[in-house]
Amino acid sequence: MSSRREFLSLLGASAAGATALTLWPGVTRAATGADSRFLVLMLRGGLDGVHAVPPWGDPAYARARGPMALTPAAPAADGAPAALKLDGTFALHPALAGAAELYARGEFMPLIAAAPPYWGRSHFDAQDCVENGTAVPHGAQTGWLNRAVAALPGADGLAVATVMPLMLRGPAAVASWSPPLPLQVNPILLQRLEPLYGEDPRLTAAFAQAIANQGADQAIDRDMRGGGMRGGGMAAPAQGRLPGLMKAAGTFMAQEHGPRIGFVEDYGWDTHANEAPILARKLKELDDAFAAFRAAAAPVWPRTVLIAVTEFGRTAAINGTNGTDHGTGAAMFLAGGALRGGRVGGQWPGMGPGELYQGRDIHATTDIRAVFKGVLAAHLGLTESALASRVFPGSATLAPAEGLLRAA
Amino acid sequence: MASDPRRAASAVNRFGLGARPGDFPQVADPADWLLAQTQRPPAGGEQFDGLPDSLDYLKLESKVVLERRALRRQGAMAPAPAPAAGGKPVNPLARIYIKTFGADLRREAVARWQVAATTDTPFSERLVRFWSNHFAVSIDKGPARLYAAPMEREAIRPHVNGRFIDMLLAVEAHPAMLRYLDQAQSVGPDSMLARRVDRRLAARANGKPARTLGLNENLAREIMELHTLGVNGGYTQADVTEFARALTGWSMPFPVQIARGIDDDRSFVFREAAHEPGTRTVLGRRYPQDGIQQARAILADLALRPATARHLAAELAQHFIADRPPPALVERMAQAYLDGDGALPAMYAALVHSSEAWSGDAVKFRTPQDFVVAGLRAGGIVIGAKPQPWESFLQRLGQPTFMPRSPAGFTDVASDWIAPDALWKRLQVAEAMAERVPRAGLDPRALARAVLGPGLNAETDRALARAEAPQQAVAILFASPEFQWRV
Repeated sequence: MSSRREFLSLLGASAAGATALTLWPGVTRAATGADSRFLVLMLRGGLDGVHAVPPWGDPAYARARGPMALTPAAPAADGAPAALKLDGTFALHPALAGAAELYARGEFMPLIAAAPPYWGRSHFDAQDCVENGTAVPHGAQTGWLNRAVAALPGADGLAVATVMPLMLRGPAAVASWSPPLPLQVNPILLQRLEPLYGEDPRLTAAFAQAIANQGADQAIDRDMRGGGMRGGGMAAPAQGRLPGLMKAAGTFMAQEHGPRIGFVEDYGWDTHANEAPILARKLKELDDAFAAFRAAAAPVWPRTVLIAVTEFGRTAAINGTNGTDHGTGAAMFLAGGALRGGRVGGQWPGMGPGELYQGRDIHATTDIRAVFKGVLAAHLGLTESALASRVFPGSATLAPAEGLLRAA
Repeated sequence: MASDPRRAASAVNRFGLGARPGDFPQVADPADWLLAQTQRPPAGGEQFDGLPDSLDYLKLESKVVLERRALRRQGAMAPAPAPAAGGKPVNPLARIYIKTFGADLRREAVARWQVAATTDTPFSERLVRFWSNHFAVSIDKGPARLYAAPMEREAIRPHVNGRFIDMLLAVEAHPAMLRYLDQAQSVGPDSMLARRVDRRLAARANGKPARTLGLNENLAREIMELHTLGVNGGYTQADVTEFARALTGWSMPFPVQIARGIDDDRSFVFREAAHEPGTRTVLGRRYPQDGIQQARAILADLALRPATARHLAAELAQHFIADRPPPALVERMAQAYLDGDGALPAMYAALVHSSEAWSGDAVKFRTPQDFVVAGLRAGGIVIGAKPQPWESFLQRLGQPTFMPRSPAGFTDVASDWIAPDALWKRLQVAEAMAERVPRAGLDPRALARAVLGPGLNAETDRALARAEAPQQAVAILFASPEFQWRV
C-alpha cells in the first residue's frame, strides 16, 4: 500500500489532481515461476499499418500511396526524413526511431496483415470483437484479458483508464488507475468538430481561434494542409498523453506485487483526412510511449511482452482528402525483453490490385487471437484448453502463434 | 396528446439541468411538467442527510479557533515541521483546518453533485442554483468558507418554491452572508457596545481618538443593489447608511461564547448591545421598530417593492429565456410576483405560461456548471466518493463552485463565456468526461437523440456515426456546438 502511494507521488498524481485510484486487492501472490508481465495497448480508431510499417519493397505500395509513400532511401531534398529500413520489404515510419532501436536489439516486432475475426468496417463492432475475444461483436459480455486474469491464480490486472474497458470487464477483480486531465485534445476530435462549429456562426470564430491559439501542433497540421503533402511528415516534438499513461502502467507493473496484466488505451488513429502529419505526431507519441513504458518497467522489462493492437487497418489507397478509410488487415506491434523480435511477423498478402480484400483493403492473414493465445500460453503459462474454452471461447481450431518468445 | 418534441426538449434542457436518456418522454405537457415541480420543495434533499449544519460547523470552528489561540500563546506554532522533500511548506493552521473540515467539505460537494446529476425535479434544482448565485457568497473569503454550501441547503433550498421574503430573511441572517459581506462586525456608532469600548479605549489612549468599532455598510448596500432593488432601484447613499444602521446587531456568536455555552444553540445572534438605537428612515418610510424587528421590517418592504419585482423578474427571464429578455415578459413576471404577494411560484408560472418561453428565439449558452452537469446527466456518469474531478473541471472552465469573483455571482450571458480559451478547455473537459461515461450498452447516436432531441444536427449525427470509438463519439457529443446551448 505504502509503496503504491510512493509510486503515485512519483507519477505526480497528487490529491489535488483529478486522479482516481482503486487499489487492487493486496494479495501476496505465491511466486509462480516466471513472474512475467503482459500489457495490451489498444489503439482505437484503426491505425494505418501501411503508413506505420511501409511495405516499400512492394511495387504496388508507391502507386497506392502516391505522395504519402515512404521509402528508406536518402532523405528528400526538403529534409523529410527517410523511413527506417527493416528488411527488403518493410520499413518503419521515421517517427518510430526508438522502436527501430528496440528492433535492432531483438525487442520489437511489427506484425503485419492481422485482424480480429470480424471483418466488417464498424469501429464499434470491430473494437467490441477485439475486446470480447469471441469471433463476433457482442459475442461475450466480458473481455478476454479479464478472463485471462481470472485464469491466472494470484495475478492482478490493471487498466489505465477512467472507466473499465470491455477487454478488462468480467469475473476477475481488476484495478483501474485514471490519469489526470488530458492537456491536449485528440486531433481527430478537432477535425470532426471543425465542420460542426462551422455550422454555428455564434461559435465559429471562437472555435477557430481556440485551435489557432491552444493547439500549437494542430496549427502546424493546418499549415501543412495548404502547403502540399509530404510523405515523411515532420519531426513532431514529444507530446501527447500516451507516454504518461504508459509510464504509469510500467511503474505499477514493475512493483514487486504489482499487476502482471496491464491495459492502456489511446484514441486518435482514425485518419480519414490529412493523415501524414497527424500520424507523424501520433506515431511519435507511440514511440515515446514505448520508451516511457520500458524505462518505468525496467526491472521487469526482461520478463515483459507488450502488444499494441488496433481494431482494423485502412484502405490500401489514399482517398481524396489525403487520408485513408476503414479497412481490414492491420499492423500490430509487439515489444518486450521476453520477445523474440528483430523481425517482421505475419504474412504479407501484397497490395496489388488482385491481392486486396474486396479490391480495397489489405487482406488479413493472421487472426489477432492467435497472437494473443501464443503470448498467453508461452509467456503466462495458460493451458491450451483454458485458452480455447475460457479466454477465447470457440477458438479450439485456431492454433496459438508459435515462437514469439525468446527461448528461456 | 404527445407534446411538441421541441418544447419538451426546452423544458428539460433550458429550464432543467440537461436531459438524461428517457427524460423527454416523461414530459407530457412542458408547462405542467415544470410547474408541478414548483408545488413542493426540490427533491433530493435526503442526499444531504447527515451533513453538519451551520451550527455544527460553527461549534467545531470555535473549538479550532480557541485551540489555535492557545497554541499561539504558547508559541508552539512558530517552527513549521520540515516539509516533505520537494513539497511546499504546509501552514500548520491550514493543516488543522483541512484535517478538521476536509472530509465534511468533500461530502458536501459530492452530495451537491449527486443531486444535480440525478434529481427528478431539475427545474427546481436549477432554481436552487439560480437563487444560490443570486445570493452569491465566495469561499475565497476565508471566514465564509465553511458556510457557503450549508447556506444553499439551509437558506435557499427550502424557499425556492416559497415566498421571496422568507429566502431573503434566511439568507441575510446566515453565517455565510453575515461573514462574506462583513455584517458580523458591524456595530452601531452610538450603540451601547461602541460607547463602552470607546470609553475604555479613550482611558487607555490618554485622550487620543482610538475608535475601532463602527458601521460596515457592505451588506446593506449589496442587499439593495444585488439582492432586492437592483442597482437602478431608486435608493440613495442615505438609504444604504440608514439600512446599515438598522442591520447593526445582526451577527454570530463568538467562539468564547460558544465555549462557555452562551448562545450555543444558534448560528445567528442579534446583539442588542451593538444595535444602533433610534428610528430609521429608508426609501422615505420610517421604521420605529426595536432591535431585530427593525431590519426585518425593512427587508419585508424591500421584498415587495416594484423595483425588486422587476429586478428579480429580469434576472430570472435572463436566466431562462435570453441574454436580453423581452421587456414585456419581465413586466408581466414582475406584476405576477407583486400580485402573488411575493410568492415565487407565481412568477415562475408567468414565465412558463408565456409565449416567449417557448419561442424559437429563446436560447441560452450553457455556463461551465451547466455544461458539466449536463454531461453528467446525459452520460449517466457516476459521481463517486471524490468531488475532485468535477471541481477541477469547473475550476479549469472558470466557474469554480461557490467562488464567484464578486457578490454579483457568476454571469450567465453567452458573451462572457464564449471565448477561444474557454472553448478549448471545454473540448478538453468533454474528452475527459466522455472517458467517464459507463461503457456497457453505450450507443452514442441513440444517446445524442435522447438528450438533444430535435436539436441534434444531421452533421453531428454523421460525425457520431463515424467516430472511432463510442467514447470518442460521446466526446464529440459533449463538445458539439448544440450541446453548448440550452435551446
